[in-house]
Amino acid sequence: MTFSLLHATDFADRLLYKIIPPLKAGMIVLADRYTYTAFARDATRGVDRQWVRDLYGFAVRPDLVLYFRVPIEVSLDRLMARRVKLKFYEAGMDLGWSSNPNESFRLFQGKVLDEYDRLVDEFGLEVIDARASIMEQQRVVRHLISPRLELGEQLVTTDEQPV
Amino acid sequence: MSSPSDDALEGANGGIQAGRYYGRGIPYLNIGEYPGKLIAVEGTDGVGRSTQIQLLREWLEVKGYGVVETGWTRSPLMQPTIELAKSSNTLNKLTFVLLYATDFADRLEKEIIPALKAGFIVLSDRYIFSALARAGVRGVDRQWLRTLYGFAIAPHLVFYLKVDVSTLIRRVLAARGMDFWESGMDLKHGDDIYDSFRTYQNKLLREYASMADEFHFRNLDARRSIDNIQEELRRQVASFLEPVEQLKPAEPVAVR
Repeated sequence: MTFSLLHATDFADRLLYKIIPPLKAGMIVLADRYTYTAFARDATRGVDRQWVRDLYGFAVRPDLVLYFRVPIEVSLDRLMARRVKLKFYEAGMDLGWSSNPNESFRLFQGKVLDEYDRLVDEFGLEVIDARASIMEQQRVVRHLISPRLELGEQLVTTDEQPV
Repeated sequence: MSSPSDDALEGANGGIQAGRYYGRGIPYLNIGEYPGKLIAVEGTDGVGRSTQIQLLREWLEVKGYGVVETGWTRSPLMQPTIELAKSSNTLNKLTFVLLYATDFADRLEKEIIPALKAGFIVLSDRYIFSALARAGVRGVDRQWLRTLYGFAIAPHLVFYLKVDVSTLIRRVLAARGMDFWESGMDLKHGDDIYDSFRTYQNKLLREYASMADEFHFRNLDARRSIDNIQEELRRQVASFLEPVEQLKPAEPVAVR
């Protein structure tokens, strides 16, 4: 519960200072992770699904949500290629499902992916196959975004820190 | 603010069950049946909550009960963060609410529920009602707040030390003076701390009053003497803890 609430506090702070003002100014806000991360992660940790959704009732609903989906093995391989050690919470080590970080990661993130799959229909996430090449993924992303933007308008982007 | 999809706190319908979760609760923490009791003492600043709790604790311990105290923002996890956040000017009403909720969740999981399961009487100096009142006054959606605190346990008893704002002002001034947050200065009612305190505390008192029925407050007149209030508290706590003994003399022997 405290894990869930602390992240919600952080999100509320960023929403009010970094997301809503640029939206009001007519800018485009690109959020690297959003409330859906919390829905998936907190539910996996055993927090009530509906409660988390209600908790984030103050959030602005995005105009478009892109979900980059990869199988658990691909995700693990990519992380291992970059880093020696998996982060404690990222691997769900707090849940005590396995004392082996890789095994724990597989179990935990596997469940997180299951939760994301629920969200796809519930919130209409656009699924992008993240196994494809970066160029191919970017092509899909631009194809999804273009029709939602009014052409000719000046566009400014704002980066958001990951949750 | 979205409206929740179902009744999180069913208090308005009288559906609150003492000792159970108000709403959806904490799914991974099944509270089941437990021997402890949760008693909350509520009231705005300066009504004498801590004095009453201190006296109640001594009395309960003499009677042989194990007592654990818990109080708002006292969690080891959140206290430093909350103090830091209050000292800066970056808090808004939403982050304020969520920081308090995090503090409460930490104490609930780590202190309150374990103590209840171990058979302690938990005396809570303030409970979620303070948070609901403060946030309600600041314009946070009341239904959202109730859903948020759906993970809280409904106390077995809630005592509300009720006071009028004039008495309150004299007490706070005599004791330690008015502070920024207690005076609701963040609400920008004006530069005058006295006027702001009065306006803010009046709104708070109204907010508490509006919760009295919903959450089954037992009102105690905080203007009475300390001993007088304590006597009433003990009487009510005793009749709750020892219902059997209380009933004995009143129970007529069945006659054929």
